[in-house]
Amino acid sequence: MKIDIKQISEGEESVVIRYKDLTPTLGKIISVLNGDDNRLRGKTDEGEVFFTPDEILYLESVDDKVFAYTGDKVIRIEGSLSTFMNEQEDESFFRCSKSMVINVGRVSALKSLSSNRIDATMESGEHIIISRRYASDFRRLLKGDR
Amino acid sequence: MKNKKKLSLWEAYLTKEIGIEFKACLYFFAFLFYYCVYKIVCGVYDASILHMTEMIFTCYIICYLQVYLFRNFDEADKLKGREIAGLVVCTALYIAVSYFGKWFDQNIAVTLGFMAYILLVYFCVILIYRTKRKIDDKNLNDDLKLFQAEHKK
Repeated sequence: MKIDIKQISEGEESVVIRYKDLTPTLGKIISVLNGDDNRLRGKTDEGEVFFTPDEILYLESVDDKVFAYTGDKVIRIEGSLSTFMNEQEDESFFRCSKSMVINVGRVSALKSLSSNRIDATMESGEHIIISRRYASDFRRLLKGDR
Repeated sequence: MKNKKKLSLWEAYLTKEIGIEFKACLYFFAFLFYYCVYKIVCGVYDASILHMTEMIFTCYIICYLQVYLFRNFDEADKLKGREIAGLVVCTALYIAVSYFGKWFDQNIAVTLGFMAYILLVYFCVILIYRTKRKIDDKNLNDDLKLFQAEHKK
């Protein structure tokens, strides 16, 4: 991609983007320019949607595809769960099993289960089990010890 | 990186093994108490080392069965088919070993009493774990509320 940067002394500042395909990188650049760089881009059956991480209840990886569940929408997003976790600075997202990430901010209740597992009830009423391998880390996260 | 501190397989295995050790000791001491009471009632103030060795080994083996075969039924959230089967099988195994090992001189009444005692111990342990989980629920939900307040929605 060719990048032209020109400094001007007067007149309105502007950015012109010329593209053939709207790639995820370009999407991010546009989001930053629009001032909503915290927004995520994904696809639903109805087409492309933009949403904030706060809207996500949980994410699930199915057959190498990542889906974000917002309660009323299932949005397919690009990348993997690890990529998502690395990009999110907000500690509210927690990897609770190999294939799931939950938004702790949108958990309505927790229940201690046998074998040191934890049942998280999401705001939508869905139950997500935090497996034994991740439960100790989850407890540390809640206590702010991570 | 947010899952650096997740439990490794080795740590998970070790946690399970420590759990078995703890369980074996707990049941051993509970059964030793019944055995000692029986001995005192009989006017005997010595405990057989052989019987105690049998008890601790039996407890270890049965605790392994309990954890790996019967879904750790004394810690289960609900007692269903396999858990109930585990409870019956483990009790039967303790009874068989106590009878053939002559822990109670093959006295049927005392052996039956031992069976009732084992079931009572299991019931108490199930109750203790349930209570522990309820307290844990409360702590978890308190921590969750604090976390959510700090990381505003």
